[in-house]
Order: sequence, then C-alpha cells, then structure tokens
Amino acid sequence: MMRKIFTSVLTVLFTLHVYAGGYQVSLHGQKQIGMGLTGTSLTIDGSSSFYNPGGLSMMVSERSILAGMSVINSYNLFHLQGTMYEARTENPPSTPFYFYGAARITGNLVAGIAVNTPYGNNLTWEEGWAGRFLVEETSLQAITIQPTASYLINDMLGIGAGVVFAPGKVELAKALRVEDQHEEGSMSIKGSTSGWGFNAGIMFKPLPEMNFGISYRSRIDMTLEDADARFSVPQSLQTYFPPLNKASTALPLPANLDFGASYEINDELMVAIALNYVFWDAYDTLAFDFDTNTTLLTDSKNPRMYSNRLIFRAGGQYRASEKLYLRLGGYYDPTPVNENYFTPETPSVNSVGITAGLSYMLLPEVSLDASFLYIHGMETQAAYSPANFAGRYKSRAYVPGIGLSYNF
Amino acid sequence: MKIRNIISFFGLLTMMACEPEMESFKPSPGDADFSTMVAVGNSLTAGFADGELYRSAQQNSYPNIVAQQLKHAGGGDFIQPLMKDEYGFGNRLVLDVIDGMLTPVPAGKQVNPDNLLSIYDEKGPFNNFGIPHAKADHLLVPGYGFLNPYFGRFAKNVNTSTVLNDAMIVEPTFFLLWIGNNDVLNYAIHGGEGETITNVEYFSKIIESIISLLAENNAPGAVANIPDITVIPFFTTIPSIGLVLTESQASELNLVYKDFPHIEFKAGQNGFVVTDAEAQGQIRQLTANELLLLSVPPDSMQYAGWGSMKPIPLQYYLSEQQIENVRETVDQYNSFIRKITGDMNLAFVDVNTPLKNAETGIIFDGVSFTTKFVTGGVFSLDGIHLTARGNAIVANEFIDAINKKYGSSVPKTSVTEFQGVIFP
Repeated sequence: MMRKIFTSVLTVLFTLHVYAGGYQVSLHGQKQIGMGLTGTSLTIDGSSSFYNPGGLSMMVSERSILAGMSVINSYNLFHLQGTMYEARTENPPSTPFYFYGAARITGNLVAGIAVNTPYGNNLTWEEGWAGRFLVEETSLQAITIQPTASYLINDMLGIGAGVVFAPGKVELAKALRVEDQHEEGSMSIKGSTSGWGFNAGIMFKPLPEMNFGISYRSRIDMTLEDADARFSVPQSLQTYFPPLNKASTALPLPANLDFGASYEINDELMVAIALNYVFWDAYDTLAFDFDTNTTLLTDSKNPRMYSNRLIFRAGGQYRASEKLYLRLGGYYDPTPVNENYFTPETPSVNSVGITAGLSYMLLPEVSLDASFLYIHGMETQAAYSPANFAGRYKSRAYVPGIGLSYNF
Repeated sequence: MKIRNIISFFGLLTMMACEPEMESFKPSPGDADFSTMVAVGNSLTAGFADGELYRSAQQNSYPNIVAQQLKHAGGGDFIQPLMKDEYGFGNRLVLDVIDGMLTPVPAGKQVNPDNLLSIYDEKGPFNNFGIPHAKADHLLVPGYGFLNPYFGRFAKNVNTSTVLNDAMIVEPTFFLLWIGNNDVLNYAIHGGEGETITNVEYFSKIIESIISLLAENNAPGAVANIPDITVIPFFTTIPSIGLVLTESQASELNLVYKDFPHIEFKAGQNGFVVTDAEAQGQIRQLTANELLLLSVPPDSMQYAGWGSMKPIPLQYYLSEQQIENVRETVDQYNSFIRKITGDMNLAFVDVNTPLKNAETGIIFDGVSFTTKFVTGGVFSLDGIHLTARGNAIVANEFIDAINKKYGSSVPKTSVTEFQGVIFP
C-alpha cells in the first residue's frame, strides 16, 4: 500500500514539469513539511498562527507549544555558456526554525504567537568563480514575530489576524574589476533593518472532516538606510572607494495569498492540497545608492523583474498506529525569475519538492516530529542580460528537520 | 513492513544526497583539423602588451588562448617563441602613481641579452608567428629577421627566412591570420609624419599572397579584420580641446596670439595650439573632432607650454583629414579581407565591431569593459595593445567564427579567468 503511494507520487512529480523559488522559505512546521508544505487548511496545532490565523481558533487542544528547525543543505551548479567552465556553490547550511505558542482565552478566542523565518537566502559561490563580479556571497536572514488573535464565529467558521514584525540582516559581497599584483578588489555591503506586515486568514469547515482555508500574508519591505559598504581595492585606487562608505538598498519580502483544502478520508488517512500565490512582482529592481560616489563607484539599479507565481502543493498523512503518523507530499515551485534577468545571487530554478515525515507520540500530549524534504531544481538555460552572463543552472537541496509539539 | 518502507525511502533520499551534475559542453572539431595550427600576424598575435613583448603576456596571446581551447577538439601543442623574462627587450611599462595620477612608466629593467639570442635550434619549430611591428608585406620579405629582432630571435635562418616560410615548417592543418594593423597604425601613431599608409591595392595583393600560401594545402583557417584604430586609447585619452583656462588666462593668451585672429581663447575648454603648415602663421587650434596622441610628452605640455604658449608639433596629432584617411583605409582593407575570406571559403572574424562597441562599453561574462585608458580593462598600458582579458575576448571571437564556419564545437574561454590592468 505505502509502496504504491510512494511510487505513484514520485511518478507524478517527475513527469509534470511544474516547479517556487526566489528567497522565500516555507519550512514552518515539521508536520506541514512532511505533507508537501501544505498547511493553509490544517487545524492541528499552534502552527496555524502562521499558516492560517483563521484556523487557530479551531485548534483541538487548549494550549499548544511547538518548536523545531530544519537544516537546508543546498547545492547549485553553473555552466558558463559556450565554454567548459563549471562552478559550484559552497553554501553554508542554513537553519530556518519556528516557535509557536497558542492558548484558548475563552471558548471562541485563541491567542497565539509565531516566531519563524519565512524569508532567507544563503549563498556562497566557489572562490574566484566566473560570476564573481555579480555576486560572491549573499545572505538574507529575516525573523518574523507575529502575535495573533483568532476567533471562532461558529463551528464552521474561524477568522484570525496577526501583526508581523520582521527584523533582518542582509549581506552581499562581490568582486570588483580592479586588481593589484596580489588580489582582485572586492566589495561588501552589510546592514540590518526591520519591517512590518500582517497576516490574516479565514478557515471554513463545512463538514467535520473537511476544511477550506484562505490566508494572506502582506509584503514586508526591508529597507536598509545606511548599510556598511566596505571595499578592498589596490592602494592607488583607494580614493575612488571611500573606506567608511554607506549604502542604501531595499529588498521586498513578497506577499503571499494561500488557499488550502483538506479532507479526512477515514480515521487513518487525511489528504491536503494548497495553492500558494506569491506576489513576486514586488521584486522589480535591486538598487544600491552609495553615500559617496566617485567615477569608479556609481549608484546602480539592477533589474530583477520577478513575476508572480503559483505553487501547487499536495500531501497526506497516514496514522499507522496509535503512536505513529507518517506523511508524504510534494510540490511544484515555478521560479519567479525572468530567464533574461536570471542572476546568480538567487539562482532559483523551477523545482520539484518531495517530502516525507513522521510524528511519534512520546507521551499522549507530546510528539516528536521529523521531516525530510528533497528539492530537485530543474536544469535551466538562463542569462542575466544586463551583464551578458549566460549559462545553465541546476540545483539540489536536502532538508532534514526535527521538532517537538506539546498540545495540552 | 511499513517501518522498513520508510527506512528504505530515507535511504534512497540519502543516496541522492550528492551534488548535482550537469552534462557538460561536448567539444568536436567539425570539418576542421586543428592538430597543427599556426598563427600569423603582428604584435596583436604575438601577445605584445604594455609596450613590450614579455613572457606572461605571450602566454596570454589570443592565439595561445585559442590553441588551449582547440585542445578540447583535437588541437595539438602550440609552441610560442617565449621571451626569457617579463621584460623582453626592455620597453615594458608598469603603472605607478605620479603626482597623485595613475601613470604608465618604464619598468626600468635592464635588457636581458639572452632575449636577443636565437632560440630556433633549442625551442623551434614554432606555431606563433606574431611579429611586433610587422606590416603585411614584411611577412614575405626574406631575411626580415635581420631587420626586426622580434623575428630574428626565432627565425630559422635570420638572413634568409621569411615569416611565412618559417610558419609553413610545421605543415599547418589550420591557420589564424590577423595582419594589416601596422599598415595604417604606423601612420596614425606618428601623426601622419614620416610614415605612409600602405596603398589599398598593394595591400590587397599582399593579403591574397599570404592567404594563398597559408591555405596552399587546402588548410582551413580564420582571418580577422582590422579594428578602427581611432577608437583606441592611444588616440582618445587626451582630449584635443583639453586646454582648460580661466577668464584671465584666456585673455592673457589672447594677447600673446593677438597677431593671429584665427586663434582665440575663452574661459573653459579650448583647442590646443598645434603646428600646421597650411594654417595662417603655420599655427592653429585643434578642433573637437581631431585627435591628440598619447605620445605627446606630458612634461612639455605641463612645463614648456606646449599647446598653449608653444604649438604642439605635427607628429602628435591627427587632423580631420588624416583621421578620414585612416578610417577610409581601414574600411577598404576590411572589405577586401571580408571578400577574400569568402572567396577562399575561410572563417571571417569581425574584431572591429566588438572593439568599436567597447567605446561605449561592452559586457562579457559579467565584466564590463570600455576603451578607456588604464581603467577600461581592454587595453594595456601602451594604449594600443590588449590586456590578457582583451585577448580572451578576441580569442572568443575567433572561436565563434571558427565554430560557425566549420561546424565545430570548440569551447570558448571564460573571460574572467584572465587579468586586466594591474594597479599599484
């Protein structure tokens, strides 16, 4: 039975050429990860604070505390067009995490808090690689902190909303086309900032075994006003690259509109789907404005031209015994990147994700949750036309994750 | 049973947990045989840079870059007549900061006499016949090595060898030819004084003979056209109307030139004063369309009043007519090169277009280049010859043309692997 399901899921995933990307991370609960990162229509625990605040009021227990993390091991490969040149990334593993706490205040009102990492990017290309004048290293680390309230209007309808505060850190390093006898020049921009947003959702439960959810997470603008700009250049050019320069830039964290449905086929089996529409068109341009400009250091506006994308996710949960839950899922994540504006700083290709997971009840209220996500990035021929940088990209990611849930 | 399924599924995922691989470029020679290649030309083929031919610059010559790439598609060894050191015949320039300005200065090295010794018996025969200073017809002159030590040092017989005969020693199966620059450049870099432009008809005959010889065993090859030299930094760095004056300086100068009503200064930019036999009083001011050469001695400009109090001599500028002579000739040379390349069924390499585009800036592999002196990245410190990165761009143009003509798949080189100008 299980083998059959595995086989058919794999076949479906590998034959359909649909694919998400950019710098969004969707690892916010081990149970949801195991089911193809679906979550919009689930009412299992406090993680609804994030996935759909409307569903939080339908939480089964009185109180819920969850925490967990995943480890993203990602690999990117690049082949420079027309050459034998290949380069790889040496990305440090990144560790998105989540913490949720929720408690029923009155019969109909649930308050919760979500602390997690819905956006991020952690990329390091091999030293001296061909695209180093575009990017050598980049990282975006953002945490969102979201106090949430959810109200159950009646047995079929819950609504909820939360305010999102997002502190974050952005780093970017690239090489400069000036060199002395020892080394090539380089530039790094580092800064911290924070942004605000909101998260709102509605959960509709027409039948006890059927849920529909819809949620909207707003765009958050990470605006860096005076990031540190540091330069390492040949001595004779140092006047062109002022040592204590500052730079301003802005990175939008895109809005998401999610729709989900789930159905409990019987006591053992539950299936869920989610449609995740990401408003990537917010990322139109990456601009750098330096406080001090010189003839060799000018402000830049770099087109990114991302497009909105719909991600399709599906998954299921099978209760194998009183203590063991098994999960499977998958999704198609189409890249938001325009193939003519494909930069190696977010080498996001169309990808397929396959997930598996399990929960083991350590105690009647406590479960150990684990998941594994494999992301298969399709080989893509693309170019960043403004820099005449073309080639083929491919990626892989292996993401194990673990967490604990305490529902009481 | 179920547990075992789960374990095997995770096991499968772990096995897949390796880095991605990609099917890489598949090189093939197509219709060409790259096993023995020779390259014939001038300093641009030799790898001359920074005012001299020196060892590491030779290693980054465009034909050597092409040859390394051809090795992926059946190409053989490419032996170059390497200098023994980084200073060649001693004229190499390096970049230094003088009075706060980045300035190319002589590296000031003693000439290593070993660089003048014949290396044919020890290292020959050779594959790179790029001879600095060579005009097209020089390639056919017996004993040219006696006149030009850059050839003499590796000619088989310095008194009798022609460049082309020596090039045929290895019985090339493929050739690269890029010649003709000096036929017009020598005139231009001397401001049209004491040098002539090679007559187009004569040039065409010479090119025809050279190609016939190189292709005599039906060897395929690639022939490049000549860049419009008037866009290179040697001619574009010092603005012809770069005499910047204050109001009082302008009126002082107007007093000095009060007998020459055609010479007039105002506050701001002014044309430099130059010698011109045809002008009234044999002096006049440069117009914005004329070119002042990089060879004009900076000390004379700065301290001896050249261009303001004293006219700049004829050999340091190109008049509009001279520029026209140069451009027209380059066009005529190039149309002949294009025609004969077609007639002889060879690959035609358009080097002129990318270099011309570099005037406003071109971008390859994520690096931007311009024809700007020192900071542009394409041209080396002499303002005429290419940097290693510039050679890589040219090499890729050759490879593109070869692939197109012969149906081959020769991989291009990654331009960013090569260096530009080295700053102090």
